[in-house]
Amino acid sequence: MKNDRHLLPSLRAAWFALIFITLALSNCGYNALQSGDEAIKSSWSEVLNQYQRRADLIPNLVNVVKGYAAHEQEVFQQVTEARAKATSITLPAEALSDAQAFENFQKSQAALSSSLGRLIAVAENYPDLKADGNFRDLQAQLEGTENRITVARNRYIQAIKEFNITVRSFPSNLTASYLGFAAKPNFAVENEAAISSPPKVDFNQ
Amino acid sequence: MKGICHVFFIIFFCTTSLKAEVTIPDLSSPVTDTTDTLSADQVSNLSEKLRAFASDKGSQIALLIIATTTPETIEQYSLRVVDQWKLGRKKIDDGVLLIVAKQDRTLRIEVGYGLEGSLSDLVSKRIIDQIIVPHFKQGAFFDGINAGLDAIVAVVSGETLPAPTLSSQDTDSFLIFPLILIVVIGSFLKTLIDKRLVAGLSGIAAFVVATFFLTSFIAFLIGLLVAIVVLIGTLGGGSGRGGGFMSSRGGSGSSSYSGGGGSFGGGGASGRW
Repeated sequence: MKNDRHLLPSLRAAWFALIFITLALSNCGYNALQSGDEAIKSSWSEVLNQYQRRADLIPNLVNVVKGYAAHEQEVFQQVTEARAKATSITLPAEALSDAQAFENFQKSQAALSSSLGRLIAVAENYPDLKADGNFRDLQAQLEGTENRITVARNRYIQAIKEFNITVRSFPSNLTASYLGFAAKPNFAVENEAAISSPPKVDFNQ
Repeated sequence: MKGICHVFFIIFFCTTSLKAEVTIPDLSSPVTDTTDTLSADQVSNLSEKLRAFASDKGSQIALLIIATTTPETIEQYSLRVVDQWKLGRKKIDDGVLLIVAKQDRTLRIEVGYGLEGSLSDLVSKRIIDQIIVPHFKQGAFFDGINAGLDAIVAVVSGETLPAPTLSSQDTDSFLIFPLILIVVIGSFLKTLIDKRLVAGLSGIAAFVVATFFLTSFIAFLIGLLVAIVVLIGTLGGGSGRGGGFMSSRGGSGSSSYSGGGGSFGGGGASGRW
């Protein structure tokens, strides 16, 4: 047993190294998951904020258009209904893992986008409406909001991507399943194309 | 048949590579003009004005003139620019970018989070439509840009912002002190208790402290380094090593220019002429 004297010191060092590495690795997974989850929550609340901001602009917009094109009743009704539906479907951050709820939320916002597009398009037939100061102001605010929605969605998508990667890679997937974290659904591509190109009316054409 | 497939492949890859995104110029001055629309005098005139405003008020306003943003929209390109340049101060987010795509005949004012109150989407749109575009339609680019920047400066001046400081403090530098402390205590303790145990514990302590400031992996490396230092270093050598770890970002020189770390949310307005 005279080998023991040479073996013991390096064995002890190896033990310390092992403890160290284990701490580092498991810490990696845990921290990344927590910060990833937080990033998702905060970017999602920004998405909701901007969608709400858009919804808030709509009643004014409808009123201004009504002032010039009162008999376009079908369009007004569609927009009002789509808005009511979109604002009634809430999706708090805790429910983000539910793919069906997420899809419902997306669909309601997409429906609102298209009926909003139709409302703006009404102005094409009414030059007085097009030139109206209030209408142009609301147009500017709507365009700004649509852009912010796009930015917020892109940041959310990025946060989801990073989180999903952490949840799926080794060894953090072990930590993830232990803690109950699952990969979250992302915005679908077909709706993305519809929403990210907002309805624009070009005054200079 | 195989030859035709190969040809299609090549054509496909060639055409997709043609649609490369426009690269973002480096930020070396408040005014960046890649199209030579402005003369050197005009560039330095505007540059001085914007630099003076940044040191007075703190808010960073920048101008970028490029030929085109295709295949992206100006909104997409503009956001990439401000994400890279990070105009405006960190946490205050008081940056503004006036971007003109000369060939596309589009322009945009991109507004940082902190200025969306005064420089709202509506105000930005008005500056574009009522102040800048009328000049641009006449081909008077410098006049339009100058008037537009003056209007933006006027609006931002009205916003209450924290006063600018001379140099930025980097919180990473605070990491040095606990690390030096750990190394010193560790070096002292190893004379009393088993060397390797002390080294291991110092390394773990350093790792725990470092994870508050940095990513886990770098923290792990720092912990390892501290453990090695405590194990083999002397008291003097250890604290010297600890001092060289992190350096704080100092103030920039007057000839250079860099973003302050501000962030943007897509606010502002676009226009065309």
